[in-house]
Amino acid sequence: MTPGAREPILEVRDLVKHFPLTQGIVFRRQVGAVRAVDGISFALYPGETLGIVGESGCGKSTVAKLLMNLERPTAGSVFYKGEDISALSGRALKAVRRNIQMVFQDPYTSLNPRMTVGDIIGEPFDIHPDVAPKGDRRRRVRELLDVVGLNPEYINRYPHQFSGGQRQRIGIARGLALNPEIIVADEPVSALDVSVQAQVINLMEKLQDEFGLAYMVIAHDLSIVRHISDRVGVMYLGKIVEIGSDTAIYDHPTHPYTQALLSAVPVPDPQAREGRERIILTGDVPSPANPPSGCRFRTRCWKAQERCERQEPPLALPPVLADRTGEVLHDSACHFAEEKPRVAHG
Amino acid sequence: MTDDRLLEVRDLEVEFTTRDGVVRALNGVSYGVDAGETLAVLGESGSGKSVTAQAIMGILDMPPGRITGGEIIFQGRDLLRLSGEERRRIRGPKMAMIFQDALSSLNPVLSVGYQLGEMFRVHRGASRKEATARAVELMERVRIPAAKDRVNDYPHEFSGGMRQRIMIAMALALEPDLIIADEPTTALDVTVQAQVMDLLADLQREYRMGLILITHDLGVVADTADRIAVMYAGRIVENAPVKELYAAPAHPYTKGLLDSIPRLDQKGGQLYAIRGLPPNLLHVPGGCPFHPRCPRVRDRCRTDLPPLYAVSEQAADGAADATGERAEAVSADPAQDEIARVPELGARSSACHYWKETVDDARRT
Repeated sequence: MTPGAREPILEVRDLVKHFPLTQGIVFRRQVGAVRAVDGISFALYPGETLGIVGESGCGKSTVAKLLMNLERPTAGSVFYKGEDISALSGRALKAVRRNIQMVFQDPYTSLNPRMTVGDIIGEPFDIHPDVAPKGDRRRRVRELLDVVGLNPEYINRYPHQFSGGQRQRIGIARGLALNPEIIVADEPVSALDVSVQAQVINLMEKLQDEFGLAYMVIAHDLSIVRHISDRVGVMYLGKIVEIGSDTAIYDHPTHPYTQALLSAVPVPDPQAREGRERIILTGDVPSPANPPSGCRFRTRCWKAQERCERQEPPLALPPVLADRTGEVLHDSACHFAEEKPRVAHG
Repeated sequence: MTDDRLLEVRDLEVEFTTRDGVVRALNGVSYGVDAGETLAVLGESGSGKSVTAQAIMGILDMPPGRITGGEIIFQGRDLLRLSGEERRRIRGPKMAMIFQDALSSLNPVLSVGYQLGEMFRVHRGASRKEATARAVELMERVRIPAAKDRVNDYPHEFSGGMRQRIMIAMALALEPDLIIADEPTTALDVTVQAQVMDLLADLQREYRMGLILITHDLGVVADTADRIAVMYAGRIVENAPVKELYAAPAHPYTKGLLDSIPRLDQKGGQLYAIRGLPPNLLHVPGGCPFHPRCPRVRDRCRTDLPPLYAVSEQAADGAADATGERAEAVSADPAQDEIARVPELGARSSACHYWKETVDDARRT
């Protein structure tokens, strides 16, 4: 699972998505743009889990939509096995989409209430009839229900007859129907109760082992991301500010935003509460329609200097880590990147 | 019972009449809060934590809800016996509530200054001008920058964290003795959550308020609470000081919850998952409501509803196997049963027949 050892299955290069802001009713003119995603690059390798974390509005869900080709990028490209899919359309796009499936956040609104579970999970076969021949579909759906831990007898029930955790399993079964290689999961457990979250996370890990899936998990819960991810990317205002292995990000963060984010996560251990150093950021995330110049985090950063305003820091290996080896090596987009060890542990 | 006891809920029972039958949302909930103390009420959706809060505030929808039993003693008075007008006079000056979703709890067509000032106009008879001045003061107190310029802004013009601050400001307006915060940070990002919880803790210390923090986030609880009440299917299943609960939970449900959360500072293999689903309140399982999901279920759990046993250090040091027998002996003797059923409020207690083994197991690992 070491990056570089294998060809990435999915690669994103300089991806940009701007949503235009318009004014006027008859003559619409563009007055600006929400820079939801503003030049990000990363790679996903077969069988690994890449977690993307960030606050709301940082563009993580837009990244998911771009990967799925639900939105067309403003610039940049998405490569699936070396082929640029961001410009594809028609039949070629359909063929690629078979291999990239999505699991949505809200299991209450992402399932059609008027379709039975069998129809929901079987619907992908209508679009890709070559995966399962007509007579074989019911059997395949039952199999899928069994794989995600639901009783195959439930095939004729409707979504409202299931609890939130069960519905999310239905959503996962639908994602698995076409035997994809990549699953993009946007906040897969955030709508679920704590005791049910663990069940769904365990299920996702089991399926990954069983089918060799590559996951791209988008979440705001840092503990869950750490638990399931091999590599983690931290996003802030449409940019990746730090990316690396889970050990690198969680135990050796060098970007001030990552450090603040980690220190803000409540640790479920009352013993740690006195000794823990917490960095409490002031203010809110700036508007993505008008991001700060230079480093986008500088308005909330305690290290910000004049240079941060002028010059945008590139996402690269910071000099402080140059003499280190192994997992700790990772990219960070900060002029003054330095380690602040044990920030999450107190 | 200490002199500091601010609020005491005793055996509260609430039912809802629905199309499918009567739902018993609360089945004898008891807890207490002292002045200056933070009590966290922990539970999954449907466990009754919000219903308890609504009953205390007197904002339960009735019908379909109905309070069928119990007492809510607030500063020596049983709130359930007061008239609507008397309760209205308590709501605001004496106790206040912070809701989860600030955007839908604030009126979108009134400016935040007007909504903040309403507290002073209605309860204190302040003039409009005076009320606006007080609103600005409040906004400054909850650290909203440029409060003076923003007092006439509408809720949608504020960010999520700022809106939540306005909710807090509104609850604090008349300096109440008790604040009930129902999932105050669930809708917020972690960095903003840290800001809001910090603010709440500061203000609580300043005014020595009692705080009931309703949440399902075990991390937030560990950071802020003094004591914890864990709810399951309309009952309190465990009541303990925060450190003792995290060190050694005395109820298998609490233990399951603690084991099932991924930790930021630990990366493990498989997460422990509580099997099954939270119960449907229309058909709560007989005996202990947790028994279908419990890893240490025994025959007795399927038939006997466990009372709240007092959990004491000395008792836990004894032999683990004795629990069952002793508990049976206790329930056979009605006088003793009464003692076991009503542990002193605030003392550590657990509604599990086999709490002693649960505690001992937790200590060992």
